[in-house]
Amino acid sequence: MDIQALNSQIDSDIANVNSPEALEELRVRYLGRKGVLAQLTNSIPTLPPQERGSFGQQVNALKNTLLSLFNEKQKSLATPAHESGKAPCDINMPGIAQELGRLHPITQIIDEICAIFNRMGFSVVEGPEIETEYNNFTGLNISLEHPSRDAFDTFYLKDYDKLLLRSHTSPVQVRAMKSRKPPLAIVVPGRVYRPDAVDASHLFMFHQIEGFMVDENITFADLKGVLEVFAKAVFGQDIKMRFRPHFFPFTEPSAEVDISCIICKGRGCSVCGRKGWLEILGSGMIHPNVFKHVGYDPKKYTGFAFGMGVERIAMLKYGINDIRLFFENDLRFLKQF
Amino acid sequence: MKVTYNWLKDFVAIKITPELLAEKLTMAGLEVTSLDKKLGDFVFEIEITSNRPDWLSVVGIAREVAAITGQKLQSLPKIKSQALGRNPADKACGLKICIEDKKDCPLYTAKIIKGVKVGPSPSWLRDRLELIGCRSVNNIVDITNYILFETGEPLHAFDLDKLSRGEIFIRRAKNNEKIVTIDGGEKTLNQNILVIADKEKPVAVAGVMGGKDTEVTEATTNILLEAAAFNQIAVRQARRSLGLQSESAYRFERGIDLEIVETASQRALKLIQELAGGSCVMAKSSGFPQKKHKSVMLEVCAAHKILGIDIPASKIKIILDSLGFKVKIKAKDRLSVEIPGHRLDINSEIDLIEEIARVFGYENIAKSLPVAKAQINISQTQDKISLVKNILVGLGLNEVITYSLIDREASKSFAQSKDYPLIEILNPLSKEQEVLRPSLASGLARCVAHNLNQKQDYINVFEIAKAFLGSNDLPREELVLGLALSGAKSFLLEQGRIEDKAGPLHLKGMLEVLFQRLGIKDYSFSASQDPLVFSISLNQEKIGVLGKLNKDTLDKFGIKNRDVFMAELYLEKVFASAQLDKKFTPPPRYPGINRDISFILKDDISIKEILDTIKEKGGQLLRDVNIMDYYKGEQIPSGFRGLTISCFYCSDERTLTETEINPAHNLICGLLTERFGAKMR
Repeated sequence: MDIQALNSQIDSDIANVNSPEALEELRVRYLGRKGVLAQLTNSIPTLPPQERGSFGQQVNALKNTLLSLFNEKQKSLATPAHESGKAPCDINMPGIAQELGRLHPITQIIDEICAIFNRMGFSVVEGPEIETEYNNFTGLNISLEHPSRDAFDTFYLKDYDKLLLRSHTSPVQVRAMKSRKPPLAIVVPGRVYRPDAVDASHLFMFHQIEGFMVDENITFADLKGVLEVFAKAVFGQDIKMRFRPHFFPFTEPSAEVDISCIICKGRGCSVCGRKGWLEILGSGMIHPNVFKHVGYDPKKYTGFAFGMGVERIAMLKYGINDIRLFFENDLRFLKQF
Repeated sequence: MKVTYNWLKDFVAIKITPELLAEKLTMAGLEVTSLDKKLGDFVFEIEITSNRPDWLSVVGIAREVAAITGQKLQSLPKIKSQALGRNPADKACGLKICIEDKKDCPLYTAKIIKGVKVGPSPSWLRDRLELIGCRSVNNIVDITNYILFETGEPLHAFDLDKLSRGEIFIRRAKNNEKIVTIDGGEKTLNQNILVIADKEKPVAVAGVMGGKDTEVTEATTNILLEAAAFNQIAVRQARRSLGLQSESAYRFERGIDLEIVETASQRALKLIQELAGGSCVMAKSSGFPQKKHKSVMLEVCAAHKILGIDIPASKIKIILDSLGFKVKIKAKDRLSVEIPGHRLDINSEIDLIEEIARVFGYENIAKSLPVAKAQINISQTQDKISLVKNILVGLGLNEVITYSLIDREASKSFAQSKDYPLIEILNPLSKEQEVLRPSLASGLARCVAHNLNQKQDYINVFEIAKAFLGSNDLPREELVLGLALSGAKSFLLEQGRIEDKAGPLHLKGMLEVLFQRLGIKDYSFSASQDPLVFSISLNQEKIGVLGKLNKDTLDKFGIKNRDVFMAELYLEKVFASAQLDKKFTPPPRYPGINRDISFILKDDISIKEILDTIKEKGGQLLRDVNIMDYYKGEQIPSGFRGLTISCFYCSDERTLTETEINPAHNLICGLLTERFGAKMR
């Protein structure tokens, strides 16, 4: 028999053993009176004299190897760590685990915000990123020739008439209202695009969450109530809020919403520009002209709408100072969330 | 817009501190973005929304201050015509105003002032202008600027002697007419641009900027003072097509109050006479100095319906009156509101409701929570996307978000479908925004390249986003899952470090887990024409690709000496086949038996086919078949591989004995040897 082959056979046999009984069985098979090793020893006299010496040495070596392997295995089987009372490992060694994957921080913020609105009865709806000029502007009461249009610089598509990349998520208002009847309570997360020069706070692509609610008796007071629930859920119960009059073509009255600076607690710091307040979103009562465009009777229905930049919320919440980090996708950045 | 505390005080008594005033303005919709103490005054920088051109003036802001602090606005003093010192005897400077189209210029006024002495402005004037960021030029120009900021009406002074005599034209430019504007640039005009011209040539781009040739200089003695109203869209078009910016255009584009035109002109004239002397020898105007004021009906209950609070008619009247509206109470809850000329933004009831809310104070409107009666309408796709993301994160992958806009060159990465034309962007700001991506590959490759540069050992990422496919009709958006792997995952175990080098089978494994979790069975992976790429199919339809990036692509993204593996999957098709309903099968109550079979097999025989056949033919006791081991090497003849499969047998009724499974085991061994030519070991 080939001693080499025996060596590797015994290795795998021993590795597969996991009970003292099986080990004993194996020991008998190899080292027993009629075991493999005994047979080898017995075969020595049958060999040509010149081979006997070296074969005998090999058999001896194998025997020693086997003995030590069995001893080792016996120890590991006979005295399981939990019985021996000894420390089962060196606890200062690094732990062993499958590494966890992460959702992108923008996804996490979108999920968090949508979940807050879900609890208040809002449903999530999405819309296409390629939009018509009508849905992006006209249907939202944004006149193409008015300076208010300047705030919505937009990427247009070549070779497709009046198609563009949506510059906000608001066109989904038009789509959702055209395809459904009130009451409506909807949130819309998604990518939006604006030809802005890239710097630490501007990018040509970012995310928004739009929300709106339409029914017969929705008021500005409701807008304030809903957004307070939202802001406190995201930024903490002890923040202060204020609603500032502002102008958006698709809402009236319109309001920008500020929260007390989460860094300086309203005392004034570099993050809030020493104002003590951070602007987090734009909102207002849906303009009657928008209702007219989608075929709702503005005498019967009222509603509010709001929109926010997801990157801005994430930057404030996590203290991130450069919007470009979100899209660089450095794993050392992503794994922090 | 900048304004100073003292300048405001010219028009309204302010009894609160600048800080408190700033706070109140902000809460009324005039957001004060900075407040600075300078030259014994306070400068407010205010962000003015595009709907409120009337706030682009000191008087307009003072009107608001009066309304929110309960003070009275002191209006601009009207000046009697006699006071202007007109000298009708001077016939030499007769002037005819010719307006080509009244829509472009509803009102044009001109005053000819002779004998002015151009020179530096007095310090009070220079200081006020400098406080609000306007450079002092000379007394005449400074006065026109001062009145612009004070009243919101842009004025322009021409050097009269540089104009050809007799007529002034307000007309569209001819194509290729030229003008050198005050900023020094020569501009080529076109017929969309409204100009002021004398008989020979354009002398100003109407409402935007004057011409260099006719500007007021130290040598000027006679001037023509223009105060006019130009069409908003015409000014906007001209400014945009010439790429100019000016305080004047900014105001005309947003709309100015016709009624202020003459008042502003007279105030400027009075100041000119005070500071530069001269006398007005002629005042002419063409057009309508006033429009009939609109009236808007307001129902008190409409305000309640929108705001959710009761504000009585009497309180509404006080608020609107303070802003310059004229309110008549028609019936108990019905008001007729006359809109003053400076409120171009008010056209309907909702505009008035906003005014009421603004001055009443948003902070004084109580909060409430609406009851959502809306139908619960869960977006199915959204839920499935979340499920997929969670499965992938569970597999240790990191989600990335990459740009939808890419450069044309990068669009040719990996194996995206070439059947669709690229969708190009008409107005990209840079090369990196030329086209919408037809696949997620370039974004993922860029992400892998970045992380490799940062010396990350193992990169495992995914993205779920839209890819954009062009067509002759409408462009299409496809929801795509992209996966990318590179490098090796390593674990430090007690036996030492072990490495698991990423490859296409890792991607396959992840996708298999995904399909299984989505209840999808009929998927397959197969070779394609490109040896580096495999096809993924679902119900015989190709739904994606999986493979290794080729050398060209790696070079494009600057990836050296590393393999990158990628997969892309059209998710809508996956979702359409998803079976998320689950049926319970009881776990086996009796222990089963494992039986291993080791054999060698020719390389060209499909392992998948073997497993499928065994599962099919193995009988009712066979519950599972797995590959336990796979090896090639010395002990295996070349062209073959060694395999060990493990068959698991189990019964729902009893504990199986070895003999009971022998028939099935023998059948399987028979299949292996006879059908697949396996040699048992």
